[in-house]
Parts: sequence; C-alpha cells; structure tokens
Amino acid sequence: MTSALTRTALPLLAAMLVAGGAAAQQTDPRLERVDAATRPTVAALVDSARAALLPTEPLIQRALEGATKRASGDVIVAAVRRLAVDLGHARDALGSTTSPAELTAGAAALHAGASPTILAQLRQTRREPLTMPLAVLADLVASGVPVDSAAAAVLALAGRARDADLVEFRRAVERDIALGAPPAAATAAAATAADLRVNAGARQQRPGRP
Amino acid sequence: MRPAAAARHVWTASLAAATSLVSFRPPAAQTTATVDVGVSTVRYDGFLPSGAGSLTPAFTWERPGAAVTARGTYLRFESGRRSLQGLIAASLFTPPSLLPHRWRGELSLSAGGSSYADFASFWHATGEARLHFVTGGGGGAWIGGTGGRTSYGRAPRPVAVAGVGVWTRRAEVTVAASATRSIVGDTAYSDVGSTLHARRGRVEVDGSLAARVWSRGAGHGVYGEASATYTLGERTALFVSGGRYPTDPVSGSVAGRYASAGLRLRTALPRPRAIRDPKPLSRAPANGDGGAGFIARLEIQPAPDGTVRVVVHAPTAATVELAGDFTDWQPVTLRRTGEDMWERVLRIPSGVHRINVRIDGGTWTAPAGTTRAEDEFGGEVGIVAVP
Repeated sequence: MTSALTRTALPLLAAMLVAGGAAAQQTDPRLERVDAATRPTVAALVDSARAALLPTEPLIQRALEGATKRASGDVIVAAVRRLAVDLGHARDALGSTTSPAELTAGAAALHAGASPTILAQLRQTRREPLTMPLAVLADLVASGVPVDSAAAAVLALAGRARDADLVEFRRAVERDIALGAPPAAATAAAATAADLRVNAGARQQRPGRP
Repeated sequence: MRPAAAARHVWTASLAAATSLVSFRPPAAQTTATVDVGVSTVRYDGFLPSGAGSLTPAFTWERPGAAVTARGTYLRFESGRRSLQGLIAASLFTPPSLLPHRWRGELSLSAGGSSYADFASFWHATGEARLHFVTGGGGGAWIGGTGGRTSYGRAPRPVAVAGVGVWTRRAEVTVAASATRSIVGDTAYSDVGSTLHARRGRVEVDGSLAARVWSRGAGHGVYGEASATYTLGERTALFVSGGRYPTDPVSGSVAGRYASAGLRLRTALPRPRAIRDPKPLSRAPANGDGGAGFIARLEIQPAPDGTVRVVVHAPTAATVELAGDFTDWQPVTLRRTGEDMWERVLRIPSGVHRINVRIDGGTWTAPAGTTRAEDEFGGEVGIVAVP
C-alpha cells in the first residue's frame, strides 16, 4: 500500500508543482462557479491530474458539486485532492489503459473499502468495461454488504454478466435486504438467482408464433 | 364446461389476472406488459397455408424468487376463422436457506386453453418441480418432473413429463440443451433439443433446434425456429420469426411452419427499473429550510436511444430540482407529469453518477432509490448506476 501510495502521490505532487504556473491560463470555464479564492488551487489540482494522465472531468465535477452546495473553499479543495489521489490508486490497480469512467468507478470502489487487489482481479476476470462491476461493488459495500462478500459475488458474475444483468443483480440484493435478509446472504442469493433466471419457469414464447 | 368456453375463460382470466397484478404491485416486484401486433403466414400440418393477423398481449409480474406470466393470443385467418389461446404460468423458487449452496428448487404451475377455428379446443393444467444446480461459472443444470391433466374435447388425459437440461452463459450468449420424455394418455414421445439466445445492442436473437424421437402418436422429425427483435425505442420493437414446430399434445398446439413479422408495444406502466430503496414514501421531519418535509423517491429509466428518463415522486412538492455530475451540477427543474410525479428526459452516459434532489428550494438531499453516501461537503449524495 505504501509503495502504491508513493508511486501515485509523488508523481502527482511533482506534476502539481510543474503545472501550477500554467493553471490559471487553462482554467476550465465551468470553474468560474467556484469562488475566486479557491479557483486557482482547484485549477492547479486539475492541471496536475492532467499532467499525470488522470481524468480531469471527475475533479471538475467534484468542485462544481461543492460550489452548488455552497461548501467552503477549503472543503472543496480537500475533496478534489482526495479524489485525485483515489483516481491515481485506481489506475495503479487497473492499469494505465483504463478508461476515465472505469477509473472514476474504481476510485469510488476504493473509497468504499475495496482493496486494490480486488480491482486487479476484476481486470483479469472481465474483458468488457469494468465501470458497472466497479459501481455495483461500491454500491453493495455502501449498502452494508461486507467487502469480501460483495467482491466474491461481483467477481463471480463479472466474467459473463452484461451490465444490465449486474444492475438487476444489484437491485435484487437491495430488495432482499429491504425484505429483511442479511446483506451478505442477500448478495449470495442474488448471485445464484441471476444464473437461475436463465431457466426459470413462466418462460417466454417466441414472438409471432401462431 | 365446454372446451371452447373453457378456452375463452382461460384467455379472459389471463387478462383479468394480469390486470389485477398491474394494480397490485408490491414494492419489491416489477411488472411489465407488452402487446405484439403481427402478420403471419402459417401452414398447420394437414391444412392449406393461410395468412393471419395476430394480437398477443402479455404481462409479467416478477419479484425475487417468484414470477407470473399471463399471455393471450388472438389469431384471425384470411378465411375469417379465428384462433384463441390463453396461458397463465407461475414460478416459485425455494428460499436460499432451504437447500445447500448452489442448489435451488423451483415449482411451476401452468394453466391454459386454446380454441382453433371454432372446432377444436384444448385446455391443460400442469405443475412442474425442478431442481437447479448453478455451477457459479456461468452454467448450470436442472432435473424436473411435470404432472397434470390435458383435454381435447373429451375426458381429461393424464400428463407426465420427465426432463433434464444444462445451460451455459458467456456475456451476451446463452446456450441450453434439454431432453424430455412425455407421456400424455396413450401418447408418448421424447424430445431432445438446444436453444441459443444472444443479444447485442438493440438486437436480440433466439434460435432453437430440436428433434422428436421415440414417438408413439406424436410424430417424428427435426424442428427449428428462429426470431430476431430489434428495439426501436423505449416502448417499441420490431420482430421477425419463423420456423417449424412440433405438435404439443400437452397444450394442444398443432404442428406447423410459419413466418411472422410484427411490432411489439410496451405499455406505459410505471417500471421501477432502478429503484434501490423500495420503502414507501414517508414524511420526514420538516427541515426548516423550505423543504416540503417529504422524502423524494427517484427512478432512473434508461431508453435504448441513449436518453434517460429521470422520475421523482415527491408528494405536495411545488418545485422539484435535480443536480448531478451529468448536469455539471447545475440545477435542472423537473416537469410535473402527475399528482406526485416529476420527470425530465436527460442524456446521461452509462456509468456511476452522483445526484441530488431539491424540493421547493430546500436542502439538497439524496432521494430514496439511490445509495446514500456522505458527500464530503457536510451533506449527502445519492449514487446511481446507469446501465
């Protein structure tokens, strides 16, 4: 973890210093909504992330969220900085070719408590984009499912499930929890049910068959 | 009861039951309804070819561990004769704790009737028990048995079916194979076959290939069907299908070959497609900040054209605003579309998004239907995943 932090944080900090001077000239116009005192720092963080080849849009959105919610400048800067570090960790775990959407979802999963090892396993398991499995993983953990249980279920499904199947799986877990099932048990049951649906009764008839 | 009347009653009961299911929608359930309107050319074995128009309403009610389907088909042949079919089928799974891990039991009930051209009528009622095993690696197997009764205008005949099946799924493709031995009165036959289901983007393809062997009174042969569905919009799709299918002594369908094309309409039933928190709306303490004092509930309804309908249920609200990372966190005012319903169609890319809702200019809150998380700004934010 320490080495991962070093790999991520040091280049990011170095990039911040290098890019700091030019930040004001390249400020995204949407950041006009952030107060004037905070804007340069946020812009510097955004430019640093760009220099480190990290996606910048999530950082801008986080700053805009803070501005809409009338948060103080210090709080906005702290939130943007934390997200930048999480994005770096996500890239370390998922690889340098990871898409911005995947990195954003990966950062959310790490923030929720998933380990970088789980993210790396997901990358090996699934050829399709990882955005939805990572989102579902973060979502499950946020709903109270233990990280190990959530990761086991998502890893089991990720290799073959479509994004829509993962959303349905997530919804089934939520419903079972709402009906009183323990989160871990609900997750295991929903993972099994996602497979069973293929052969469930009340099967559909072919359209147009006379 | 006369068989023809029984068929009409089953068809009517299908619609009535389905309608009642629509009105009775427990929070954890999902109801979908479709109507297929199509034209076909069909040739039943022993009959001349004929053109036909068809109308097929279908309803499905589904909740974790249970599903009910009701379907009716009205066919009008070019000769002016009619065919009417109706079916109700229900499936119930055992709770996960009842059987060992990876094993689930399933009980299915099916009742249906059909009336062909006012001279041949069937009805059947069967129950099936299946034991499923899921490998956990994208595959599984089942073994099952069916018992019941079927009738063709005379004394009901007993139905007994034994079957086994296996299936595997990889991403967008599912392949299954099964073998069954059926005994209906003094008729006995065995079917072996396989099915394929694949989906890519707006196109969904199904195919089947089967053979009837060791038959006494139910015919022999190789049969195959294929269909493709192309999704046009959120509530419309085109379909084409065709092939040859065998006589089914249980449901009373006559062997035939056909080619069909048509339009599938999905009714505008409320669909809780992305509801995360099914708890009913409840009054929250007034926040003293201009809020209406109600917890709003959010639904995300993606459409095939890339747009997403965002629906917020907020009783007594005068204005409802939404902001998220897909609006650059600029407040967007929703349009009132019902007594407590507000909505807006937006372009939201697939992925995980942060979202907040504001009622009557109050505090930004995470609505029910999202996963609530601390937002790092002293409040809360809702997390939603858009497929």
